[in-house]
Amino acid sequence: MKKLFTQIRNEWRSNLWLMAEMLIVSVVMWYIADSLYYTTETYNIPRGFNIDHTYKIGFDKLTDKSPDFIADQSEEDQIADIQEFMDRIRRRPEVMAVSLSMNSHPYNGSNSGCSLTYDTLETRGYVVHRRATPEFPIVFQYHGTQGETPEKLAQLLNDNNGGMLVSDNLFKRYGRSITSLVGESLLWDGDSASAIQILAALEPVKYADFHRWATQSILKKLNPALYNWASELCVRVHADKDVDFAENLLADSEKHFRVGNLYITSVTPFSKIRESFQRGFTNDLRNSITGMIFLMVNIFLGLLGTFWFRTQQRTSEIAIRRVNGATRRSIFRRLIGEGLLLLTIVTPVAAIIDINLALTEIVSWLEWPRMIVSVIAVYIIMALMIVGGIYFPARKAMNTDPAEALHDE
Amino acid sequence: MDIIKQAFVQMRTQPLISAITVIGTALAIFLIMIVVMLQEVLVEPYAPESNRDRFLHVQYMSIFHKDWGDNSSNGPMSWDTAKDCFKSMTTPEAVTVYVVNEEAQPLQLPGQPSISADVRKTDADYFRVFDFSFIDGKPFDQATFDAGLPVAVISESIARTLFGTTEVTGREFLLSHAPYRVAGVVKDVSTLATQAYAQVWIPFSSTAACDYTWCDSHMGNFSVTILAHDRNDFSQIREEADRLLNAWNAAHEEAGWYFVSRNRPYDQEKFVISEGANNEPDVDAARRSRLIVYIILLIVPAINLSSMTQSRLRQRISEIGVRRAFGATRSGIIGQLIVENFAVTLIAGILGFLLSICFAFIFSNSLFSLEYAQTLNPPHINLTILLHPSTFMMALLFCFILNLLSSGIPAWRASRTNVVDAINNHSK
Repeated sequence: MKKLFTQIRNEWRSNLWLMAEMLIVSVVMWYIADSLYYTTETYNIPRGFNIDHTYKIGFDKLTDKSPDFIADQSEEDQIADIQEFMDRIRRRPEVMAVSLSMNSHPYNGSNSGCSLTYDTLETRGYVVHRRATPEFPIVFQYHGTQGETPEKLAQLLNDNNGGMLVSDNLFKRYGRSITSLVGESLLWDGDSASAIQILAALEPVKYADFHRWATQSILKKLNPALYNWASELCVRVHADKDVDFAENLLADSEKHFRVGNLYITSVTPFSKIRESFQRGFTNDLRNSITGMIFLMVNIFLGLLGTFWFRTQQRTSEIAIRRVNGATRRSIFRRLIGEGLLLLTIVTPVAAIIDINLALTEIVSWLEWPRMIVSVIAVYIIMALMIVGGIYFPARKAMNTDPAEALHDE
Repeated sequence: MDIIKQAFVQMRTQPLISAITVIGTALAIFLIMIVVMLQEVLVEPYAPESNRDRFLHVQYMSIFHKDWGDNSSNGPMSWDTAKDCFKSMTTPEAVTVYVVNEEAQPLQLPGQPSISADVRKTDADYFRVFDFSFIDGKPFDQATFDAGLPVAVISESIARTLFGTTEVTGREFLLSHAPYRVAGVVKDVSTLATQAYAQVWIPFSSTAACDYTWCDSHMGNFSVTILAHDRNDFSQIREEADRLLNAWNAAHEEAGWYFVSRNRPYDQEKFVISEGANNEPDVDAARRSRLIVYIILLIVPAINLSSMTQSRLRQRISEIGVRRAFGATRSGIIGQLIVENFAVTLIAGILGFLLSICFAFIFSNSLFSLEYAQTLNPPHINLTILLHPSTFMMALLFCFILNLLSSGIPAWRASRTNVVDAINNHSK
């Protein structure tokens, strides 16, 4: 060990380069590791909804340019058309549930907000306000905290005109769960004339996979008077019948799905909507991982180059060691040990910088377990790169024939 | 020339170190140029958004009401608002109003199965602001727009799919089950030109787009892009926009409505980083984080390369000593070493640059796909989208910086070696 230190001191100038590089790389890698950890953690929070076998059906209304246009439709007729439109979709054997909603489906760019009070308790932050027809909880598989199935939630919405489903975490900051308030009423925007009954408490529903905010939400039944304004027509298809659903529906759309002025414009699986909505996050993730690989390659190349050169310069020294009884193994270990020792010296310094960066809350906030995990992970990854980078030069040194090497002098 | 030759001879004596130097440099330039391209496809001009440097966008507006407190409604505006606040401007060259997103609609020939196409509803000035390349026909004019006639400009590939040819001006097809006549055919537009992109463009006056409004008909379906005569007019245009907004607010004071501008309109750079309609994008923060990325991508390889250069120079220490003994100045030595190294950096840099272009083409789909895009069509790229004078400048600049960082200190140290020590090959 002492010998290693002496050696490092003797090569201090090139070691300084290496250590500077390791320091920067270690800090940047920590930053990336930390944000990856945070992102994965967010991603792994239960979503509270499910989009397998779900589709969004785009629909529109004919204009007066179309020969089929029905002019001067009354509002009632238009609403009846939408209901008929939905019924026809529901009648398809592969369809399990159909819902119409406003600013409600997952992976949605648009949202409505609201604020609610109960006694002295009031909501804080953004509470997502969803309005949908009763089958919405079936389409996206919402669950109640007291074991209510999606079907049960749908029934509750259907049977109670004035009620709403509320995410269990609405008053989390007061330590009150909504489950304990089921049956009670909340005031809308603090208005005492607008008490709305809680029909059931929902398992919190995430806004999207990478979002931590906006898991507080309420779900109300969409008033038929608003059907004309709702553009989200979502369906869930039976898992065993989810084959070419979009193609088949589009093929039939002309024959079976022209109701009044309504027509189908597109059928998009929610997996596609999800992909598009989350591209920003997945791109960031991709960039972070690319950056990490780039830094690792650099560490690898740096050590490969430096140690290659070093073993070349020290051929005779290594040869003398061999002559004096050092095994090939011990020479190999010594070189690798030198790299790892450098990393070990650098890591605490890097950790201090990391902690200070964490305190500025660029990524999120300082959490010791996450900090320790990230620092250790970075150490291990870098150690692997160091062993990889030194392996080839060390092998070369190990295989030096002492007679040859000393003959050189 | 001699210097370059010398550089190569030097490289060959240390194949592994040289390979590492070249790979390290190429890799760094490769990654930096990918980052540069990712930014440039969003802000650099190419058809039909060739005037990006003269664009000012108002994609969304933010409306408040005196009874709402701090709450606001944020989103696209109504046609009336667009007319009052932007269409009436006099300073810009042109102002276009269009429906905020393109949307998928069915297209067909009578009696044939339908295809799905991205349709954008625009006004007539849209074709003055964006420079589409017409391969047949021409855009619809103001009179056509005013009359709300059902005409359409369609893209080359839609024309081919629908009619089998591109010379189809005057022919009819069904769009959303209504007969439309082809006014013109344009070259396909990449989804990366976000405001120009669509496959079919129709006058919104031929649709019901204006009827979709909320907030007392002040908010609706529309976005605005302003084309300035010159970038220098931006401040004047912003002043005019503020003036019109204040006039609008004054006129609607009684009803309680007022708009807050959030410093709109935004230029292209600010526009592309906007997320959501209810906040102002922070250009400085975006620039800062890009700068940090560049610095990391330069510094880490530079340290690496520096240590390689250092190693290589150590072997040449006696050569340098001899040169010094024969009267070469220190700055002469430094200069020579840096230039020598630059030859290597440049070649490796070109390699990295070419690699980044190939990579961009092969992985264009996953690389350039835009967040929150309405269309699910993949982004197409070509050389006019990817390469701009600034791209080459950036590549050269980064090579130069990388070279300076990686050879500066070693060259400076080598030049300071004591002549006697150097000739004796005693390096410090």
